[in-house]
Amino acid sequence: MVMNLTADLPGGQLLDSKNVAQEVVEGFFEAGFRSFTGVPCSLLKGLFRILEDASTPARYVPAPREDSALGVASGLAVAGERPVVMMQNSGLGYSLNVLTSFNLIYDVHMPLIVSWRGHGGNDAVEHDVIGRELTNLLDVFGLAWTVLDPENPRASVEACLKDHDDGRRTSVLIVREGV
Amino acid sequence: MLDIREAIHVLLSGAPSAVCVTTCGFITRDAYGAADRDGNFYLVGSMGMAAPVGLGIALARPERQVIVLDGDGSFAMNPGCLPMIAGQRPNLVHVVLDNAAHESTGGQRTSPLGDPVALALASGYTAAHAVSTLEELRGIDLTGSPALLHVRCEPRSRRPGRRVELTPQQLVARFRRGLAARPLQGEEAVRC
Repeated sequence: MVMNLTADLPGGQLLDSKNVAQEVVEGFFEAGFRSFTGVPCSLLKGLFRILEDASTPARYVPAPREDSALGVASGLAVAGERPVVMMQNSGLGYSLNVLTSFNLIYDVHMPLIVSWRGHGGNDAVEHDVIGRELTNLLDVFGLAWTVLDPENPRASVEACLKDHDDGRRTSVLIVREGV
Repeated sequence: MLDIREAIHVLLSGAPSAVCVTTCGFITRDAYGAADRDGNFYLVGSMGMAAPVGLGIALARPERQVIVLDGDGSFAMNPGCLPMIAGQRPNLVHVVLDNAAHESTGGQRTSPLGDPVALALASGYTAAHAVSTLEELRGIDLTGSPALLHVRCEPRSRRPGRRVELTPQQLVARFRRGLAARPLQGEEAVRC
């Protein structure tokens, strides 16, 4: 099944050409990832707008906190689905316990879409530290990461899924520019 | 007040085709010792995540009842997941085995829980019950889902079960086989 995301989106916005968020969601969807959960970020609002649209044929479970989103996605993955977790990089802190004491030791992996607030140091002060250390933090835990290229979102999704290695690794698609 | 291992045995033997997710620490060890079966999925870490993991399994496999075994400490750690669970209408029974202590770490008292039954109902669970005797537990009607079951338990009078001997990866593989297999019937589903 191929998604049809060219219909009217909430807010009256008519998309006659595919935008970056559509390309990202479709990239995961067409690779068999049809369940999404997470906590929103302003840099990811295009993704959430698509998933909140009732006509989008994907499961979307809004979560109260990023660790609970990982928990739900972990249950889905254990039971045979292919979920994707979406979050602001501030949510990685909450997520670390689930990543280190569940996903990385049970070998139940999924792609994460993580925004990069605080990149370059020109953001609100609460994002400065996690923005500066984001990729270092991912490297510490061996999480492969790809920065989304807005000019070629499908290639970025493919790179992230290549790192995911058919479920063998947790991989991260970093969204630096808002989609 | 119930013995935790006895409560786990009664719950799982009464639901032979259900799958079960257990919170880390002594509850995982007690379930492993008292009612091990392929349909049990044991968390060895990630305290507070048994219910979200159970929700994910329930969403993927709506034909299977999911029983989540939480403790009072793990329930207190993540009450924010209750409205999320209620909103998805899963086929799930959320059990809180409450002995008012973090026994796995030495018996320290838990932070106040509030009333789990009231929390569940206010969060949108279809049903919520509290039991404090074996007779009440055996007689409970768990119609309506999701449901919460608050089980008042005694502090453990015996040592917890042994640690889970399977590796986490083996637990995943075994649980997937349990999900794929025909659910067992009656007492054959529980190896005591």
